[in-house]
Amino acid sequence: MPYQLLLNGIIAGSIYALIALGFAIIYRTVKFLHLAHGIVYTTGAYLAYTFFILLHIHPIISFFLSIILCALLGIAIDKSVYYPLRVKKASNLIFLLASFGVFIFLQNLIQLVYGAQILTLRTGPVKEGYHIFSAVITPIQIWILVVSCWLLVILWGFVKYTRLGKAMRAVSDDQVAASVVGINPDKTILSSFAIGSALAGAAGILISLETNIEPTMGFSAVLKGVIASIIGGIGSIPGAMLGGFFLGIAENLGIWKIQAGWKDCISFIILIIFLLLRPGGIFGVKTEKEQI
Amino acid sequence: MEYFLHILIIAGIYIILTLSLNLIVGYTGLPALGHAAFSCVGAYTSSLLALNFGISPWFGLLIGAGVAVLFGIAIGYPSLRLKGDYLALATFGFGVIVYSVAKNWVSLTRGPMGLPGIPRFSIFGFSLDPLWSYLLLVTVFVLLTIFVLRRVVGSPFGRVLRSIREDEIASEALGKDTAKYKLIVFMLGAFFAGIAGSLYAHYITFIDPSSFTVMESITILLMVIFGGMGNILGSVIGATVLVVFPELLRFLGMPSSIEAPARQMIYGLLLVILMIKRPQGLLGRYRFR
Repeated sequence: MPYQLLLNGIIAGSIYALIALGFAIIYRTVKFLHLAHGIVYTTGAYLAYTFFILLHIHPIISFFLSIILCALLGIAIDKSVYYPLRVKKASNLIFLLASFGVFIFLQNLIQLVYGAQILTLRTGPVKEGYHIFSAVITPIQIWILVVSCWLLVILWGFVKYTRLGKAMRAVSDDQVAASVVGINPDKTILSSFAIGSALAGAAGILISLETNIEPTMGFSAVLKGVIASIIGGIGSIPGAMLGGFFLGIAENLGIWKIQAGWKDCISFIILIIFLLLRPGGIFGVKTEKEQI
Repeated sequence: MEYFLHILIIAGIYIILTLSLNLIVGYTGLPALGHAAFSCVGAYTSSLLALNFGISPWFGLLIGAGVAVLFGIAIGYPSLRLKGDYLALATFGFGVIVYSVAKNWVSLTRGPMGLPGIPRFSIFGFSLDPLWSYLLLVTVFVLLTIFVLRRVVGSPFGRVLRSIREDEIASEALGKDTAKYKLIVFMLGAFFAGIAGSLYAHYITFIDPSSFTVMESITILLMVIFGGMGNILGSVIGATVLVVFPELLRFLGMPSSIEAPARQMIYGLLLVILMIKRPQGLLGRYRFR
């Protein structure tokens, strides 16, 4: 068993799970594919770079600042682009294309400001990792695992037990009925964008501790998040997390005998297999029949 | 002058791509986000045939288009089972897979290093090296595409396509085999996109996977939407404007490190504005449902 690949898969999976969780929280309330989620992830990494490397702010403070700004970015995207479409009752496809537009616009804005080259948040040399079985794990990777698992558990609890979490579920079930019992759907949608985007930002910051950052990083990341969501059953919160880990592990074990460049290919083949054969995900979550 | 001809040739190639995508997206209402995959297949097929076996680009063009048709069947297949944004996602996935194969199958495609030295077209021993002659060739193909497309959408076949777009269940109820029509539409679209791909390859004489990214597919889709969904003249205008207009940035004296992202930003902003203000495009009547 290639333990190293399995371990890499779990670490990649934890990042995918974070992205997928944020995506699922947003998807549940608005019911369209918010691909601009990926650019929030990129923004998180670049904000952390700006505060930490360029402005020399303490890492913890700069990470929190970046996460808050990411949440605000999510809200801004919803207010400026999705809200006018919602008023017009646009179709899902129009939302999808508009979110592509936002994505392309912001990605190239980042490229214009920071340049296309790769940047890094690392300041010192890479520390030697610990050995588990025949695999090596670095302290940073342990941090990534711990923080992301902690975030996953907190968010799960949040959606399940708090008032706002319940309001989100109510809006996702039936917007009209929710507003009848006094839940403001627009406010709930905004808070789901804030929380989901904060998660995407956190994922972007975590990955930037481990690898280099570049303006195009968010594209494949959000697609992995979407694929993870679909694997776990779209809109399902535990499903998104499990889907993330499943995809991370499948992708990394998949390149056991072939080159690493085929990772994207593997995950998209998984996507198409799921879309065609099991659109409800592994657990067969019920989906709106009209859409699938 | 050379530069001007070059822009026109590129615009012509994009017009073919936009028209062929308009048949799938605008006339039949199927959201396809992987159109660059077809031109990728067409370009690589005819380039590899020319480079490895010395096959004339004319045959390469046809074979490339034929192989693209096979991919059209593969990409069209999900359209029989999926709808709306999920179909968009699946076709998008195919686009990524084709790009990824072109990039990673190094022994065949040389991966990111690309294929240099692709021969140009020649007629009776005269190479089509001068730009005006190539522009003539591209124009012929553009007119051919417009002719075929007009015949297709004006025929009873085209009426069925529009009925699928407006109400698929109703056209099924009238006894139309919508699955067959959808597959044929994808095959037709792929055929012309394959031709556009090999026209591009034999013009630039160098291809690498970065010319066929999914962003490229979205740019083509933007051209379709901008000009007008389900409108031939719209596609011609949309492709021309969106190819020529960003070139003005270069005249403003922008260095290419700024010009490239600025162009993409304009595209992104335009897509958002179109979706909010005019999702059917300039001349179109149909909008995505």
